[in-house]
Amino acid sequence: MSKVLTQPAPAASRAGGLAWHRVNRVQERLLGYALIAPVAILIVLLIAYPFFNAIWLSLTEKMVGYPAHFVGLKNYVALWESARFRIVAWNSVVYTVGSIGAKVVIGLAMAAALQKAVHGNQLLRGFLLLPWVIPTVVIALTWRWLLDLYRGLFNVGLHDLGIIGGGIHWLGNPDLAMLSVIMANVWRGFPFFGVSFLAAMQTVPQDLYDAASVDGASAWQQFWRISLPSIKGVVAIVTLLSTIWTLNDFNIVYIMTRGGPGAATHIFATYSYELGIQSQRWGMAMAASMYSLPVIALLIIFVVRYLHREEPTS
Amino acid sequence: MSGRLFRWLVVGFLLVLVAVPLYWILDTSFKTGRQILMSEAIYIPKPFTIENYLYLFEETRFARWLRNSAVVALASTFVSLTIGSAGAYALTRLRFPGRRLFGALVLITYLVPPGLMFIPLYRTFIQIGYSNSLGTLILAYPTFLVPFVTWLLMGFFRSIPRELEEAALVDGATRLQTLGRIVLPLAAPGLLAAGLFCFTLSWNEFLYALIFIADDNLRTLPVGLSEFVVSDFAFWGQLMAAAALASLPVVLVYIYLHKYMVSGLTAGAVKG
Repeated sequence: MSKVLTQPAPAASRAGGLAWHRVNRVQERLLGYALIAPVAILIVLLIAYPFFNAIWLSLTEKMVGYPAHFVGLKNYVALWESARFRIVAWNSVVYTVGSIGAKVVIGLAMAAALQKAVHGNQLLRGFLLLPWVIPTVVIALTWRWLLDLYRGLFNVGLHDLGIIGGGIHWLGNPDLAMLSVIMANVWRGFPFFGVSFLAAMQTVPQDLYDAASVDGASAWQQFWRISLPSIKGVVAIVTLLSTIWTLNDFNIVYIMTRGGPGAATHIFATYSYELGIQSQRWGMAMAASMYSLPVIALLIIFVVRYLHREEPTS
Repeated sequence: MSGRLFRWLVVGFLLVLVAVPLYWILDTSFKTGRQILMSEAIYIPKPFTIENYLYLFEETRFARWLRNSAVVALASTFVSLTIGSAGAYALTRLRFPGRRLFGALVLITYLVPPGLMFIPLYRTFIQIGYSNSLGTLILAYPTFLVPFVTWLLMGFFRSIPRELEEAALVDGATRLQTLGRIVLPLAAPGLLAAGLFCFTLSWNEFLYALIFIADDNLRTLPVGLSEFVVSDFAFWGQLMAAAALASLPVVLVYIYLHKYMVSGLTAGAVKG
């Protein structure tokens, strides 16, 4: 085979060239499968198998000392009827919509403000990206400490500024606790939004803005009529991606509130953790996760179709 | 002119927004326990002390966690880069039946959130009797790193002109040779970006490390940090010192190479 391959193919006769090509194509196929095999094995063994196993698990019940047995949709029905789970589902929606809404707004403002090339912009952008780089655990712990009732910077600072008299129970009051975890999530995530939007805005031809300026359009009008329409694809994709991950977020809520007070900040993943890891009710835990699956699957289909459409076909 | 005013207002707001929590970490980390407990010297540590940092290394398993995190992050980055670059090459350059299906599969698995996978994966590791080891994490992290690396590198490989490779093939080089001598060197910035992403993602990972590891000696940094908080109480001085140190490696990596990361970010996560 190697002999065939080392032939100078273009100089070979027509028939020889064809044979070279065919061998090459078979070889290409084999090499293709060989190179993709590790990825495929990983996906099958450590993603697909656990995932389908988990779906099965969500249809079973397991008592300590007995093997798991099939119970159909019992876990799903039990959750549906549980007031606590409904709170969890609603919280997940509030957490996701609140976080992403704020991130889109701040991200757009960041992109618009950094769009014009100004001296020091590079440095500024680098600094603003820091929250996106440092570990989420650090962020969640820092926010917990910032919002500490007696000694946190927020309460002490607001008090010193004369804005509040006593301490605010940021993590103790149900509504404020939700606001607090959303704030930490937004702080962590807005730089990603901003930089993505900025990168998209910078591909918009400058002529468009120049022409608009000549016509007397204000900066606000230029943003609204030129920048925003040109980057709406990126806004959509970033929003979709972030929704997929935020809906099943865990770290920030787990560290800041453990889902509390009560169940005020419990979301899908923290609740699954409570049911599975803490209470060993695996079937229930998986069923709780699976409730978010239809939405996740739908969003994944959107993203895959969008990104695959952009892919050049070869 | 309102545009300029708006710009400075936004920039000012964002600077304060980012700077305040970061300052609070450093500020707290240099205070004595008494300053923190009694709310003395809120805004500036006075006197300034490094006792919290020393305490971490003398009285806690911080050094151990640091080592564990480094081992896991480096190993899973290496594994993921190797597997992912091979896969990305196959998916962009080689023709074989099922290629498009694989491409879609990689993207789908990239999008599946860890918050959905942690219990399934945990159960699988229990089944095969391989939980509670650093190796568990080195196996688990590629489940989100490999799809990510593959997807990211597909973009980089595509940007390398096919003609270069075809010329080498015509000259008698094998596919593996063109991969090693032409494609990989040209994709070096992409590999570097992908590697940095992998390192950062593994270094920062918390959920899998929390659940798959039970042994105190095998904890990674993020999990170790989270254990500083005991019910409603925490040693915030030591904790913030630990937070600063845990952030340092990724911040250094990022400062040094943030151009690659930004280009990788826009090429991979938000194409177009």
